[in-house]
Amino acid sequence: MAALLTLAWVYLRIGLIFVGGGYVLIPLMNHIMVEQYHWLTLRQFLDGVALSQLTPGPLAILATFTGVRVGGFLGGLVATVFIFLPCVTLMLLIGRNYHRLKNIDTIKKTLDGLLPAVVGMVAAAAWSLGAASLSGVKEFVVLGVGFAIFKWTKVSPMVVILGAGLVGLLIN
Amino acid sequence: MRACPPFCLPLRLVRCYNFPMDESAKRVSLTEIFLTFTKIGLTGFGGGMAIVALVERVCVREKQWITAEEFLHGLAFGQILGPFSLNVCTFTGHHLRGIRGGILAATGFIMPSFLLVSLLSWLYFTYHKLPQLQAALEGTNPVVIGLIMVVAIDMGKKQIRNANGAIMALAAFVAAVFLKLNAAWILLAAAGWSLAVTIYKRESV
Repeated sequence: MAALLTLAWVYLRIGLIFVGGGYVLIPLMNHIMVEQYHWLTLRQFLDGVALSQLTPGPLAILATFTGVRVGGFLGGLVATVFIFLPCVTLMLLIGRNYHRLKNIDTIKKTLDGLLPAVVGMVAAAAWSLGAASLSGVKEFVVLGVGFAIFKWTKVSPMVVILGAGLVGLLIN
Repeated sequence: MRACPPFCLPLRLVRCYNFPMDESAKRVSLTEIFLTFTKIGLTGFGGGMAIVALVERVCVREKQWITAEEFLHGLAFGQILGPFSLNVCTFTGHHLRGIRGGILAATGFIMPSFLLVSLLSWLYFTYHKLPQLQAALEGTNPVVIGLIMVVAIDMGKKQIRNANGAIMALAAFVAAVFLKLNAAWILLAAAGWSLAVTIYKRESV
C-alpha cells in the first residue's frame, strides 16, 4: 500500500512537470526512477523507453513500465492514472472554457491566425519521422503507396496501418 | 435514420422544439466515443502526430464530430500541455459530451497501450528479454509518414490562405525541424505574431 501511495505521489508530480513540455520527460524520469528511488537500473530504464515506444501511447506510458516493476499490475495502473491526471484535467478545463473564450473576437482571431504554425508543425513531424526512419528504396515505395491510398481512396487509415505492420512482420 | 410509426412523429417534433439550441440531434453516445478512441489507441502506431493524423481523419473527416478549426485549436492547446496525442483525444471527447466524454476518450485511447505495456513489462521483468516487435513497426513507419503528410497537406490547403499564413507555417516548420525548438515556444511565438496582426488590422480599419 505504501508503495502504491509513493508511486501515485511521484507520478502525479512528474505529470505536473510534464505539462510544461514533453522533452524534459526522459532525463527527469531517469533521475527519479534510477538515481533517486532505485526502482530501475539504467539498463532497465533504457529498455523501458524502447518498450514504451512500441505502443501508440505517448512516451509517458513509461510510467506503466516502472509501475509494473514496483507494484505489479496495480502499480502500473496507479502510475499510469496519476501521470496522466494533470494533463487530462487541464485539457478538460480548457475544453470547458474554450467556447466562451472563442466568443471574444480578439481571442478567436488570434487562435485562427496561429493555425498555419500548427500545420507547419504537423509537417515538421512528418519530416523528422522520415529523416529518422526512411533509409532504403523499399521504404520510399511503401511511403508512396501509403500516401496515394490516404490521399485518393476512402480506405480506413487504421486498416492500412495494421496491414503495413503485418506485412513488416512477415517480410523481416 | 430509422423509419418510425406516425404516432411518434409529434413526440420527435416536441423534442426538437424543446432543445432548439442543443446539438442533441446528433448527440454521440458515450459508448461510441469510448470505442472510437480505443480503436485509435489500438492502431495508432507511430505515436505523437500519427495519432493526431488518425484522429483528424476519423473525427474531423469521417464522422464530422468537430470542425477542422476547432480540432486545430485543440491541437495547439494540447501541444502546450505536454502529451498532445492524448490531449487531442481528451479535447475532442470533451467537445462531444463534456467531462464524461473527455475522460472516456482519454481512457479509451490510453487503455490499449497500457495493457500492452503491462504485458510486455511483465514479460520483460520475468524473462529479462525485450520482445522482437521492432520489425512490425518498421513496416508501419513509412505508411504513418504518408498519413501525416496527407493530413498536413489537407490542413494546409484549408488554413494557409495568404502570404502571412505561408510565412508563419514555414517559420514554424523550420523552428521545429532545424532549430529543434520546443513546441510550446513555437506556439507562443505564433500566438504573439497572430495577436499583433489582429490588432494591426483593427487599427488600420
